[in-house]
Amino acid sequence: MNFDYQQIDDVIHSRIRTSIMAVLVSVEEAEFNFLKEKINATDGNLSVHLKKLEDAGYVSAKKIFVARKPVSKYKITSKGYKAFENYIKNLENIVKNNFKN
Amino acid sequence: METKQAELELSVIKKIMEDSRKNNIDNGKHYLFWGILVTLALLGNYIMLLTKTSGNYIGLMWLVLMVSGWIVDVIMGRRENRSRKVHTYAGNILGSLWFASGISMFIFGFLGPITGAYNPVFICPILCTSLGVSYFTSGAIQQIGWLRNISIGWWTGAAVMYIFPSVHSLLIFSVMMVGFQIIPGIILNKKSKVELAL
Repeated sequence: MNFDYQQIDDVIHSRIRTSIMAVLVSVEEAEFNFLKEKINATDGNLSVHLKKLEDAGYVSAKKIFVARKPVSKYKITSKGYKAFENYIKNLENIVKNNFKN
Repeated sequence: METKQAELELSVIKKIMEDSRKNNIDNGKHYLFWGILVTLALLGNYIMLLTKTSGNYIGLMWLVLMVSGWIVDVIMGRRENRSRKVHTYAGNILGSLWFASGISMFIFGFLGPITGAYNPVFICPILCTSLGVSYFTSGAIQQIGWLRNISIGWWTGAAVMYIFPSVHSLLIFSVMMVGFQIIPGIILNKKSKVELAL
């Protein structure tokens, strides 16, 4: 099997970050609490991973006020979308290559 | 990375994506709001015609109700959008569909008869045909079979009104509004509340 492990995107390659990307790629915009519910993560853990994705430019965040309470909303960027697409392609290649061999 | 791990990861990603897309996008409030408003206007129009009230007042009543309805609906929509936890692509398409449908119905209901393109007696079947299209597409977008099938009711009612045009079309249309718009609105609203509580 020929596969270069360096092709795997480290930013996405973590259970929680992959899950965040999978949610965000399927919706237009999601609130922090929505992501928390979908992924079953704690506030702190989710914040750390969202920050990593934000720093990589894969996710953009905005803060708004709803009924005087701050609400963070997250969106996947075009860079993030491409990176996630590549990540999926790489996973599919691993499966395909092994199937051929 | 091992093949099994890659396979597992792909299946988890697929499940998360499907689950996120399935989010309830329609709380039924707009169906209820327009259903009640239009039913009242239809019954008002029916009574006004039976009591031979001037046609100008009927047109004015519709114009006032529809314009104020749009204003209330836009305010309602904006509030919902701000408090919504997630915005889906399907939700956007659905919003655009009903917006376009509303504009079309406004043109069918006002401009068609005013310009003399058709007899006002055909407003009801034209609107029902248009509603059939919107319900069919709306049900398909949300993958709700029964909502999509309601379009059959709208189209059947429209056919009846085209074949037997009369003032009673208004009464038939108002009954259809209750059955095909208000009741579905109640069902969608209850479903949305149950899903939110989970």
